Amino acid sequence: MSAVTARPRNRALSVVKLHLANPWATITFPWIVMLTIIALTVLVWMVVLANIPDASDQAKAREGFGYSGSSGFIFVYMIVVAVQSINTMFPFAQGYGVTRRNFAIGTAAYFVLLSAFYAAGLTILSIIEDATNGWGVGGSIFSVGYFGDTPAQRLFVFFAILVLFFFSGSAIAAIYLRWKAFGITTFFIALSFVLVGLAALITALRGWDDVGAWFAATGLVGSFAWSFVISLLAAVGGYAVLRRTTPKS
Amino acid sequence: MTAVVEVTGLTRRFGELKAVDDVTFNVEQNQIYGLLGRNGAGKTTLMQLLTGQQFATEGSIRVFGENPVENAPVLQNTCFIKESQKYPDDFQPRHVFKSAAWFFPNWDADFAAQLATEFRVPLTRKMKKLSRGQVSAVGVIVGLASRAPLTFFDEPYLGLDAVARQLFYDRLLEDFAEHPRSIILSTHLIDEVSNLLEHVLVIDEGRIIIDSPADDLRGSVTNVVGAASAVDAFVGTRDVLHRDGIGGLASVTVGALTPAEQADARSAGLELSPVSLQQLVIRMTTENETEKSA
Repeated sequence: MSAVTARPRNRALSVVKLHLANPWATITFPWIVMLTIIALTVLVWMVVLANIPDASDQAKAREGFGYSGSSGFIFVYMIVVAVQSINTMFPFAQGYGVTRRNFAIGTAAYFVLLSAFYAAGLTILSIIEDATNGWGVGGSIFSVGYFGDTPAQRLFVFFAILVLFFFSGSAIAAIYLRWKAFGITTFFIALSFVLVGLAALITALRGWDDVGAWFAATGLVGSFAWSFVISLLAAVGGYAVLRRTTPKS
Repeated sequence: MTAVVEVTGLTRRFGELKAVDDVTFNVEQNQIYGLLGRNGAGKTTLMQLLTGQQFATEGSIRVFGENPVENAPVLQNTCFIKESQKYPDDFQPRHVFKSAAWFFPNWDADFAAQLATEFRVPLTRKMKKLSRGQVSAVGVIVGLASRAPLTFFDEPYLGLDAVARQLFYDRLLEDFAEHPRSIILSTHLIDEVSNLLEHVLVIDEGRIIIDSPADDLRGSVTNVVGAASAVDAFVGTRDVLHRDGIGGLASVTVGALTPAEQADARSAGLELSPVSLQQLVIRMTTENETEKSA
């Protein structure tokens, strides 16, 4: 009866390779954009400084260089990568006879791999930034306080943010794949109610000071460590949604 | 004979709609099956059920003896190329072929390369920039070169020109002869593929209404044409699949006729002609409507 020509293969590993089959959009292009952003930002800073003759005024300007949001590009872009890796890759992998389970395992591994890769890259850039005294102009793109004070802290924080963005982005993509726009709308309305409800509860209990105190006590690294709980929930939730999803044509 | 697919009492409901309605059939190993039917008849849903993409409401599916849902050993022996197969946005055909090798144990890269040349598929252009026919050709190439023991082609040739379609039929038959496997081909172009098919499944409104070897089907019905009175006299109480009439002339489709019956018909001045597979499917799937209008 059985004509299965079982040749053991790690299909989850093949899914990782599938995600990396064309590295242009996920590896090459983001770094080109990131490096371009760095170059343009530094150029703008140089132009600003060149037009401020007074040294004390220059110092004031440099204070403003301390909070560039340019690094945010990578994080936002990775949400797009996460959405695409579900939205187009899942229907494609189903045609290749990949089980949902193997797709989920391979995709999760790919997200963690990519998070580590980008966290390492961003940390290296922050080290360069420190070593060059802020790209020679005292600017901060990566060595910003909210990413941590040491390279090790930054590595951890970058990694935590990326993991969070990948898994929450993919969970939302899974909801879209299964229930389309109706699912997304319902999800965000429900999420808004939960968040507003939570805020109302904290306000009613006059708990905002406690919340602030908790974050202060937990510290930057500790707070970001808690984000793994949310990432894990998104990963498990996303898989639960995908388990009963049929790719539509 | 060995069945690679065994389906028993299978139903898939979407709310009120029964996309697949209490279906029972087998697919024998190493044969080419035609899955024919009108748009929305349930062809794609049925194939999605067989490949574990869709979930049964009732009934049982066995593919290679096992339930296909989330079953990696079973699914790695299947390949399902959909009519509107989606490809990752930045993929080029070369990425599709490269990655196929990681998923199909029998993938033949040389064969894929040869087919890409023959179908004139540009390997380094983005999938979303290809023409409709070129996208279909990529799907056809994956379906052929994967050599999956159970291969599904769901309307594989949207936008393919006549030359490319003929190329597909030729390569399919050649490769099938060297590497026999079970193939399920769903299509509207019934006449074009009728010589390819060894077995025909016709699905209409979710039900399998024909499950028969193609050869048996070809001789199974006959058109009887002649004066209306003579036709009616000959037909008598036979089951009539279809009836057309213009003035005093009538054309009636009936079941198989014995040689003696054929001789009777000819002596009554009636003309007999065979009915093509396509006409047969049309007759069978519009039966109810014509009876109403007749």
